[in-house]
Amino acid sequence: MTGLPVPRASTGIPGLDEMLNGGLIPGRPYVVSGTSGAGKTTLAIQFLQQGVRQAERALLVAVDEPPAEIRENVRSLGWDVGKIRILDVHPAAKAFNKRVSLVEVSAQRAVGSLREAGPNAKTEAMKQAAPEISIQSLQLMLKQELQETKYSRLVIDSLTSLKKLSQNMEDTNNSIMSLLRFVAESNVTALVITDLPDPTVLEPEIFLCRGEIRLHKRMVGSRTERCITIEKLRGSDHDLMPRPLTISDSGISVDPKKKISKAGLKTLQAFTQFSG
Amino acid sequence: MQNMIKDKIRTGVPGLDEMLDGGLIPGRTYIVSGASGTGKTTLAMQFLIEGSTHGERVLYIALDEPPNEVKKNMVNLGWDLATIQVFDATPDVMSYDKTPVRDVSTERSVMYFKDVPDRIRITSDKSPADISINTVQEMLKQEMKVRRYSRVVVDSLTSLRYFYIKTSEENASMISFFRLLSDLNVTTLATVQLPEIAKPDVEAHMARGEIRLQKWLDGRGLVRGITIEKYRGSCHDPELRSMKMTSEGISVKLKQAEKKDVPPTDTGQAPLPEPLPEPPPVHQKAEPVPVPEPPPPEVPPPPSEQKPEAKG
Repeated sequence: MTGLPVPRASTGIPGLDEMLNGGLIPGRPYVVSGTSGAGKTTLAIQFLQQGVRQAERALLVAVDEPPAEIRENVRSLGWDVGKIRILDVHPAAKAFNKRVSLVEVSAQRAVGSLREAGPNAKTEAMKQAAPEISIQSLQLMLKQELQETKYSRLVIDSLTSLKKLSQNMEDTNNSIMSLLRFVAESNVTALVITDLPDPTVLEPEIFLCRGEIRLHKRMVGSRTERCITIEKLRGSDHDLMPRPLTISDSGISVDPKKKISKAGLKTLQAFTQFSG
Repeated sequence: MQNMIKDKIRTGVPGLDEMLDGGLIPGRTYIVSGASGTGKTTLAMQFLIEGSTHGERVLYIALDEPPNEVKKNMVNLGWDLATIQVFDATPDVMSYDKTPVRDVSTERSVMYFKDVPDRIRITSDKSPADISINTVQEMLKQEMKVRRYSRVVVDSLTSLRYFYIKTSEENASMISFFRLLSDLNVTTLATVQLPEIAKPDVEAHMARGEIRLQKWLDGRGLVRGITIEKYRGSCHDPELRSMKMTSEGISVKLKQAEKKDVPPTDTGQAPLPEPLPEPPPVHQKAEPVPVPEPPPPEVPPPPSEQKPEAKG
């Protein structure tokens, strides 16, 4: 590559930065896609953890799972995630154990009345307000949070759930555009988690994001094989090969030197081109 | 055909002009389509640079990626965008106010890429702009009166469709946009984002030509290819050609794309799906090419790990 070297944000995943030619270009939104159980959340938490290690502020927006469960899950990996901040937008979980190590920033933010709510508003009425979670309300919550605290890393887990909570498709597209624009304007490096996109449908986040990291989990013969691909990375060279991915006690790691098995590649080929 | 070649304009992509029998017929609108990460923006930018290095006036209309990021990305390629003009039509962050201030942005104007700030334009809290297809059309008309552009890139047409047009008016607005471009008599490349398995849309019908960028997996990993899907008024290369994206940009190899099959496996594992036909999925089909279901593996996998059914 010629030109000025662009600083990169390390993902914290051993091997992945090499695939990304040094890491992610900071201040931009990226998509992490994959089937369930492929390791999307684990990867995202490792990314946040890497930020914390570099004395950055990192925020996890939890839509799919209540924060307490995420904490339990990562504790089993032996990680100290005490410094990752979490915005609980899980529709059902309005309150959770206050002694959890994940710092709770906004569990009390009543989304339904957020437009009028000040940062410390915790009235009964608000607690009882029906939790109306949408892409719009998340953007408003994030705006409030980012005005108070300067974050450099953000994870939204997951956009797929948020989209399911939104009804009108036209609005949803515009809301996603707006949310990703907001992230870029806030100069936050963001990972947006989505399900594996349906190959026949064009999802706006897929073409709006500046890069897509895809996690694959396939049955090859009688074994489960995992691999990772970089589908897109604007403004940078990247690894074009699928690489084997391992999830172990120490989290996710990628071997950027190794090729995946021939059988695995064939399964991946069949998958990427003919099914979703 | 011989005398037409003289009148054609070059795309600036090595190899592509040969595929196009000399280049593009000027004054018409073409689309560059492809899935994400196939190189649409890079190809479009190469087209503009080709014009600007020959003293033409060229305009880049940014509809989804903010110009500051485009600038940074292209600097990585070592390209000088200084004399390319850019119109930042990227939408603002929505305010979701109950009484939104919906004013069409008149403050935005065309600028040179060299004057694009490093930081992204920040949405004004007071008046987030509501850009519609009309704004873009108005800007284009005005700009064309002031400066005679010979090349315009619309990046992307997909964003224009998704975010600037009401769903009910989608096709009519698209057709009118194409009509405007042809009235302006400017050679336009518009990028179109395709899902991995694509079906044709109104853009493909309206455009005078379509250059399609493809990528697929083979035994060596990810491979890139390029095809001319359509080119009105000119003969063109019907083959799939292999394409490279390097630090110098995009180049096309004129020999046919290699059809190197995945080496057969000799593992004693479960039978695998049939070898894939190449090139990758034929886009004109509304439904994916049916592939015979592979026989069930020896050990039935749990439901979450099963290969999902093809959707269509």
